[in-house]
Amino acid sequence: MNMRRSDEGWVMNIQNFSVNDGEGIRTTVFLAGCAMRCPWCANPEGGSLRNPMTTLMSANDVLSQVIRQLPFLRGSGGGVTFSGGEPTFQLPFLRTLSSRLYDAGVSLALETCGTFSYPEAADVLQLMDLIFIDFKHPDPDEHLRWTGRPLALVLENLRDVAESGIDYVVRIPTIIGLNAEVATICRLLDTLAEITPGAKLEFLPYHTLGFGKYEALGRPVPSGFATPSEGEMDKFRELASERGLVPVSYR
Amino acid sequence: MLTARVEKIRQNYIDAKPCISYQRALIWTQSHQRTEGKPIAIRRAQAFYDCCDLLPVSIFSGELIVGAVGEFRKCGILTPEYSWLWVDREMDHFDTRPQDPYIMSDDQRRFVREHIFPYWKGQSLEEAFLARVPAETAKIAVDTGIVDNDSKWRQAVGEITPDYQDVLFAKGFGGVAAEARAKLAALPDTDKESLEKADFYRSVILAADGIMRLANRYADEAERLAAAETDAGRREELRVIARNCRNVPENPPASFHEAAQFVWFTQLGGILSENPLALNPGRFDQYMYPYYAADVEAGRLTEEQALELIECLWLKLSEWVWTISANTADYFAGYNQFQNLTVGGKTREGLDATNPVTYLALRATEEVKTHQPGLSVRVHQDCPPEFLGAVTELVSKGTGFPAIHNDAVGYQMLLNAGYEPQDAKDWNNCGCVVPHFRKTGEWTAAVNVNFGSALEYALNRGHSLMTGELMGLPERPASSFTTFDEVKAAFYRQFSNLVHHSITATLVAQKLHQELVPRPFLSACIEQCLSTGVDLSQGGAKYNVGPVITGIGLAVVANSLAALRKLVFDDELVTMGELAEALQANWVGFEPLRQAALAAPKYGNDDDYVDSLAIEIANWYYREVHQYRDVFGKEFNTAFMGISNYLPMGRVLGATPCGRRNAEPSSEGVSPYAGTDCSTPLAAMRSAAKVNQEIHSGGTLLNLRLNHELVSTKRGQANLGAMIQTFFALGAFHVQFNTISSATLRKAQAEPERYRDLLVRVAGYSTQFVNLSKSMQDAIIARTEHAEF
Repeated sequence: MNMRRSDEGWVMNIQNFSVNDGEGIRTTVFLAGCAMRCPWCANPEGGSLRNPMTTLMSANDVLSQVIRQLPFLRGSGGGVTFSGGEPTFQLPFLRTLSSRLYDAGVSLALETCGTFSYPEAADVLQLMDLIFIDFKHPDPDEHLRWTGRPLALVLENLRDVAESGIDYVVRIPTIIGLNAEVATICRLLDTLAEITPGAKLEFLPYHTLGFGKYEALGRPVPSGFATPSEGEMDKFRELASERGLVPVSYR
Repeated sequence: MLTARVEKIRQNYIDAKPCISYQRALIWTQSHQRTEGKPIAIRRAQAFYDCCDLLPVSIFSGELIVGAVGEFRKCGILTPEYSWLWVDREMDHFDTRPQDPYIMSDDQRRFVREHIFPYWKGQSLEEAFLARVPAETAKIAVDTGIVDNDSKWRQAVGEITPDYQDVLFAKGFGGVAAEARAKLAALPDTDKESLEKADFYRSVILAADGIMRLANRYADEAERLAAAETDAGRREELRVIARNCRNVPENPPASFHEAAQFVWFTQLGGILSENPLALNPGRFDQYMYPYYAADVEAGRLTEEQALELIECLWLKLSEWVWTISANTADYFAGYNQFQNLTVGGKTREGLDATNPVTYLALRATEEVKTHQPGLSVRVHQDCPPEFLGAVTELVSKGTGFPAIHNDAVGYQMLLNAGYEPQDAKDWNNCGCVVPHFRKTGEWTAAVNVNFGSALEYALNRGHSLMTGELMGLPERPASSFTTFDEVKAAFYRQFSNLVHHSITATLVAQKLHQELVPRPFLSACIEQCLSTGVDLSQGGAKYNVGPVITGIGLAVVANSLAALRKLVFDDELVTMGELAEALQANWVGFEPLRQAALAAPKYGNDDDYVDSLAIEIANWYYREVHQYRDVFGKEFNTAFMGISNYLPMGRVLGATPCGRRNAEPSSEGVSPYAGTDCSTPLAAMRSAAKVNQEIHSGGTLLNLRLNHELVSTKRGQANLGAMIQTFFALGAFHVQFNTISSATLRKAQAEPERYRDLLVRVAGYSTQFVNLSKSMQDAIIARTEHAEF
């Protein structure tokens, strides 16, 4: 398994000029592999390490691509964001990339689904200026049913991230068919208010921009999900504010 | 918020089709009939004076700034002393031509054919040029799209920035005339030089007296209208207008309103004297600010009143149209007069130059959405964040304005062209993206040269692919090239030949301008001409900078050489002979090969495989052009500007190895080929910044389109600001953004009536989208749209 290698890893994409995953202009490195199996996923090629849409790259190759963007990243107060897939799924590779960029003075951010071993990843998390951590569903059974992974680990990691002192934003994929109803969102927000009081959070409305990837992978596109209206999104943000949580936007 | 007055004038500007007025041409002709035998400078100056004396004066409803080039509010004029043959040939189709149509009645056409054109037969600059240009140069350079300098022998030069700071606002035209009279009186009259200077000073006196005469006639008219006006508010406005016109441009302005009126009279004088391209108002915020500050301080002017006056001036600048041939209109599409107005930057001393007028100028453009003035900003690395914020906010409105320039590179470009440091710091823009200065005589858009043609002749035995005619130097068959270096050598040989013809065409035109079209009015606006007694056309300005040759198709040639190198020499997918055959066939029957060519590296993606070729070609071009000197002994200069010249220059170009088909557009400035910069705008910026932009003193241009979403928030605008500053830190000179969605453009194409005010960036300038021909519109839509990620 390549997931144990530190000098090379499976990369989905290196996306320059990202502007929604942290401050400034960013380069987002999408690392393949994820323990969850969410049927709405916008990046289905991230579900496995090796598939027609991923590439095995050396750390040097990734870094040399990122370095070309440095003038724009620095000039805008931006940096590099690791996304996926689940970037901690290839933890040794992520450690190599992030520590070398950290040493080069590049501001770093991480997007995680919240399913990882905190003790194993703690040193890597400490290199981050910002962590985006997902919270998808507040009900343990529903969470397991939808994502294939237990809620408890996510909650534990949420708590640990909040206590780590690293700046973080809780991201809530907001999807009709999964969680986008007032009762579910309220329960989710109540949980958050309890374990991460005052946390920043961002509701991400469901989108279908990943459908092309399902087709490229020869898989059926997700069905049964829909995007909440702007009005519903406003309502959810209001509910969050009422609980002392802080809705933010990187738009 | 636009005032009701400005909104009304704006609506008329949007709705009205430009009309042709022959009044100026008629007065000019009759004046010349009376002055035969006199020195040419006197004849031109007298004709100008007569125009100012006799042209109908028109004050249109609601105007606060007055003065019209003819009897119509949206109006173009004729200048038969420059050219009339093309007008005679084309004016029957003025109303219906696809690019920049004009309204002209049959009566008007009959009149000019009977009373104006016959006098100029054999007398115009155009005819003299065609009679003198060597046949082998004419074959390449007259209406061919290979080498093109038609705007320099069918039109006046323009390309002047009047010196408000040291001449016009300091002395007024009254002071200029007095100085000329004193100089004239002191001349000995006993040597050839002083006789020539005497003619020059007499011509300046006529020009200065003329514009003052015109202003006083406007004062009379305003008084007459005031007397008849029933509305008390308007009556008072007319009285103010009358007072303004009595004082300026004869004397230094006494108020912000007078200063704005002065600027328009100066433009008007320039227009009537030569219908110029690129008569630049220059550093408007710098010379207007003292008047603004004084009026605001004294309680005579509010910010909103100042804004309204600026908007009235913007509309004035937009209501006259540049009358040009269909050929020229292909190169300069969109009724564009290229009156470039620059704000921001640094002062002569090196301090930040922004002031409240800077911001009012940006606001005025945002509000009135006129295509004129060409609003340019100078951005330096330490400029106030509010200024960069205002710039990116204006970008987000999707007007294509402002043109954003790197303060430091503009300075460097002028230093390289021989300016003193303090003058170089004081630069303004000329036309579209040329760094310029108000004590300069320079042909900033002297000639365009089609880089693609040079490659075509190298690969096709010197012949045009589309006509089969021998247009370049005879060349051996492409199949005999055995190395990539041989291909490049053949390309440079052909390129050298095109540069040679560009130089010849320009020198012939320069000599003719010296003989035929002295420029008394504009010389009166330039300091050194007055003190030395030498007309602009004779090199009277403090700085005479060599003519600029604009290279068209840098990306096409770099992409083509890269594709050729990859397919033939690296991958050995195809032989030179087969590739040449595919180009001759316009790729028909060679589709797989064309796909391979399209897949080869393309400039604009930060790929050194191809970018290194762009750099090499640009550097070679600089060295080649700088070998030559103009009529004043100044080195020719290079530029990678835009304008719309990449369309006509593409039309005559056969298929190219980059995968482009016959007649498809070429590429503009240092921009990537449309649709091939498919990474990110950052990669396009990195590629463009590699091209040693600062050595090309004639200016460089990069156009990018951004999805509107990207800059619709403050945060997005801040990111855009950072992007711009980074691009500039990499050494680039200019960037300009269109931020309208393709969907909007398609809608505008389908329903032009609903989108008449939609401004888009063409190349180096903005214009109303609906005024572009279908093919121009398609080209704009085709430009890569960089979507948000």
